[in-house]
Amino acid sequence: MKKTVLSLLTLVALLFTACDKIEEDQYIIYSGASGEWVDGNGVSDHTQRALIEKYTGVRCLNCPTAEDAINAAVAQYGGKLLAVAIHDSSTFTRPYPNNPDLRTATGNTWSKFFGVFDAGQYPVALVNRTPGASGWDLFNPISGINSYVDPIVNSEATIAIEVSATEAEGLISTTVNLEFLENVGDNLNLTLFIIEDNINATQLMPDSEKNESYIHNHLFREVITDVWGTQIDCTGAKGEKKMTTIDYQVANSEWIIANCHIVAFVSNRDTRQIVNVAECDIN
Amino acid sequence: MKKIIFTLALTLMGVVAMAQNAKLPENISLKTLDGKTVQSSEIKNDGKPIIISFWATWCKPCNNELDAIKEVYEEWQNETGVKLVAISIDDTRSAARVKPWVDGKDWPYEVYLDQNKDLARAMNVGADVPFSFIVDGNGEIVWQHKGYQPGAEEELIEQVRSFINK
Amino acid sequence: MKRRFICLTALLAVCSMSAMAQGIMGGHVTGSIQLDGQISHRDTIIGSQDVPQKLLSNARADILYTNGNFSAGLRYEAYLGPMLGFRPDYEGQGIANYFVSYKKENFAITAGHFYEQFGNGMSLRAYEDRYLGIDNALRGFNVMYSPLSGVILKGVIGRQRYFWLESKNIVRGLDAELSFNDIVKSWADAKTRLTIGGSFVSKYESAVNDWIPANVNGYKVNLPENVATAAVRMDLAHGGFGLKAEYAHKSQDPNDLNNYIFREGNVLWMSASYSQRGMSANIQAKRVDNMGFRSSRTEPYTEMLFINYIPAISKQHTYSFLSMYPYATQSMGEMGLQGDFMYKFKKETLLGGKYGTDIHINASLITGLDTVDAGGRGTDGYTSSFFGTGDTYYGDLSVEVAKKLSSSVKFAATYGYVVFNPITEGHAGDNHHNHVVVADLTWKMNKKNSIRFEAEWMGSDSKYDESIDDKRAGDWIMGLVEYNFAPSWFVSVSDQYAYNDGIGNYYNLSVGYTKGATRLQLGYGKQREGIICIGGVCRNVPASNGLTFSLTTSF
Repeated sequence: MKKTVLSLLTLVALLFTACDKIEEDQYIIYSGASGEWVDGNGVSDHTQRALIEKYTGVRCLNCPTAEDAINAAVAQYGGKLLAVAIHDSSTFTRPYPNNPDLRTATGNTWSKFFGVFDAGQYPVALVNRTPGASGWDLFNPISGINSYVDPIVNSEATIAIEVSATEAEGLISTTVNLEFLENVGDNLNLTLFIIEDNINATQLMPDSEKNESYIHNHLFREVITDVWGTQIDCTGAKGEKKMTTIDYQVANSEWIIANCHIVAFVSNRDTRQIVNVAECDIN
Repeated sequence: MKKIIFTLALTLMGVVAMAQNAKLPENISLKTLDGKTVQSSEIKNDGKPIIISFWATWCKPCNNELDAIKEVYEEWQNETGVKLVAISIDDTRSAARVKPWVDGKDWPYEVYLDQNKDLARAMNVGADVPFSFIVDGNGEIVWQHKGYQPGAEEELIEQVRSFINK
Repeated sequence: MKRRFICLTALLAVCSMSAMAQGIMGGHVTGSIQLDGQISHRDTIIGSQDVPQKLLSNARADILYTNGNFSAGLRYEAYLGPMLGFRPDYEGQGIANYFVSYKKENFAITAGHFYEQFGNGMSLRAYEDRYLGIDNALRGFNVMYSPLSGVILKGVIGRQRYFWLESKNIVRGLDAELSFNDIVKSWADAKTRLTIGGSFVSKYESAVNDWIPANVNGYKVNLPENVATAAVRMDLAHGGFGLKAEYAHKSQDPNDLNNYIFREGNVLWMSASYSQRGMSANIQAKRVDNMGFRSSRTEPYTEMLFINYIPAISKQHTYSFLSMYPYATQSMGEMGLQGDFMYKFKKETLLGGKYGTDIHINASLITGLDTVDAGGRGTDGYTSSFFGTGDTYYGDLSVEVAKKLSSSVKFAATYGYVVFNPITEGHAGDNHHNHVVVADLTWKMNKKNSIRFEAEWMGSDSKYDESIDDKRAGDWIMGLVEYNFAPSWFVSVSDQYAYNDGIGNYYNLSVGYTKGATRLQLGYGKQREGIICIGGVCRNVPASNGLTFSLTTSF
């Protein structure tokens, strides 16, 4: 009897070691995402670009149509329109068996914040995180992309942005250069994230059939900075030139870095609206 | 493909099974109202029939049924020797209330808790209670009925009588 | 698919081998089938929508094979257009559950899908509620061993079902229960019974792909990959007295429910009761603090992938208006107290009259915790004082008197008062205060025919507000007539109408037929949008307007 109890207690004691205890000074860990801001050399390319964020899912049958429309628009704007496809955790994004899971925790955070998850209608897109009459200016990107993009790309840039990235042994080092073309103030954040092209995952098509060889492009992978961006250390006065380098260690072996790109955008810290955006390959 | 397997499984199981009544499941753990663990095989009535009634404190028809049978239970027992065993499927939210409930209602039955619904599942009770069974003297399930309507206890005892006379 | 095929082949092989091993074609096949369907149309007032499929249905067949100590089972489920209120993720059909099991008196093993509960479920509860669309069955192994009388050891390991998929994360647990009256021979017939138990459950979830930004720029939350809950419990009975208690403690578990904080969780639950023939009293108390334990830290559906179960302690009311605002456990933090009192006035006494009178009183109060904020993501989150209380979440008081007026007429009257804080359903707003009165009369005309009348009234200080769109608001009346022809037929007609400060008129006609274990029910009418809760877990059900049917049978 005593032996049984004793051995039981030992077993329980052993099991207690089976939960991870994290000390208070280790609750958060440096994610290699906060570079110092130093004076930069300026940016020669003063293009104003727009970012279209498409919320999509592998079980959303109208999503491939929206994808085609976005690809056509991206081609039409010749580098002035950048696209990202975000899979949140809605019912439409549940992976098909034996397929990669394209969902991310960050995508879900954004989806919930912009009201996409709660509205529950896909596909839906947001250009430059612009507020609408009530809530965010979400729309179905199957048509009418131009009316959202034209006003942005036809205006003069207030901040010029340029991004470049290199990779060695899974460490991606991204350098961002900013040049302030107007007085815009210091209330700004920089957000960097990784997108990946050429991912094969089964997709539900408009004819209700599953396409097992569907290729997903500009898929949102992960944010390098804080989910809402890191603070830009600047005054925001016209003529100011700033630069930073941010490192990120890729932990996920499923990603093919040769197919990845970095998207960088500057946004207003309070309104979260995007001011300007740029994209680069990883060398 | 799945469907074919499913059909096959059904057919095979059908062939395997003989056309006799299922027995009351054995070796399923239940709890008595004072916390003792017992096996379902301990539900016995010396070769006389047993009524097994699945119920829950939050289920109105269940309470109506057990209240109604209480009125005639003595007569039933004297006439047929039948015993009613009430199996509560209350989960943690209400399981602690079962003993006070049974005492408060002054029910004369043998009552067990089946919190994990192991016995309910083994007897295909599904999600809805009340659900009553008659187990004959050989431990075979000879009759089952779902739901309760006022007066349905008459059919229950009629059935018990018919199995005794067999 | 391939894996499933192998499992099934194995299952079939085992079935047939076992049948042969018995030397005879013995064993039994039993099972049950349930088919529910719904046709719903648009109604702008109650807010129901046309459904594109026209017909929605949930169907399932459970097949069980038993042969002596051996059993095997499988379940086919088909959600061909999941019914309103079920997550669309259920769309599809297939074999959702299969297992083989061998059970002896002191030893049992199950391979495949299984349901299990340790103690009161505060460390582990794998269960199914088909009406809520919850099935967190574990798939893996479940072993029970009793080395000596009065000692029961259990071990589980598996992954949880997630709609048609499976959680990636592993759940494992151990449980031990000691019943002293069985262990110590001289206590066998003691009036006092004592059972104690302990359990330990942990999950493993990789942190490699979860990048949760902390509230400090450039930092992320350092996620623990192994999270564990340990629980101890006791059950003491002495004659009419009973005392049950369970305490569970959870290690650091930053997750979406607690906004990724490192505070450890705990829950304490106690129940004390006294009962004798015709009288009983029960008091329950509970304190929950950051105790949502799920196998996925980022899961967005708040009812999915729970490993443990924290019951609501308030009474599960059965009358419509009393259960209009059901209470759901706030697993992140709450304090609760509930009391129940039942008394039977005996026959031939002043209050008992000729047939006796039953009285049942219930009261409960549930509040939030008194917490002090101590930072957001990636910190300890908050501190709380053990006995401090916060906002009132829910409170109720009900008195029910049931009496047999004559040999054929039964009458029950109920008064209830409910306070409800909309924050528990995730909306801001003032607390609702509702008074409810119910009269319930059954007249048994003869052995087979009976008729039941139910009238309910609810007076509320809430008003319907378009911006909140809570269609339960306002003052309501309801009437119901039900005719029963035992043991087979019933027909019922009911109507709920908001006569003041509310909107909606919900009428319903139902017919049911039962024969043995087969039951068919048809309903036509309008169903309110609302929350249905079973055992403390709740689900939002959208409004519907149209036909519903349900067929269940078992064999």
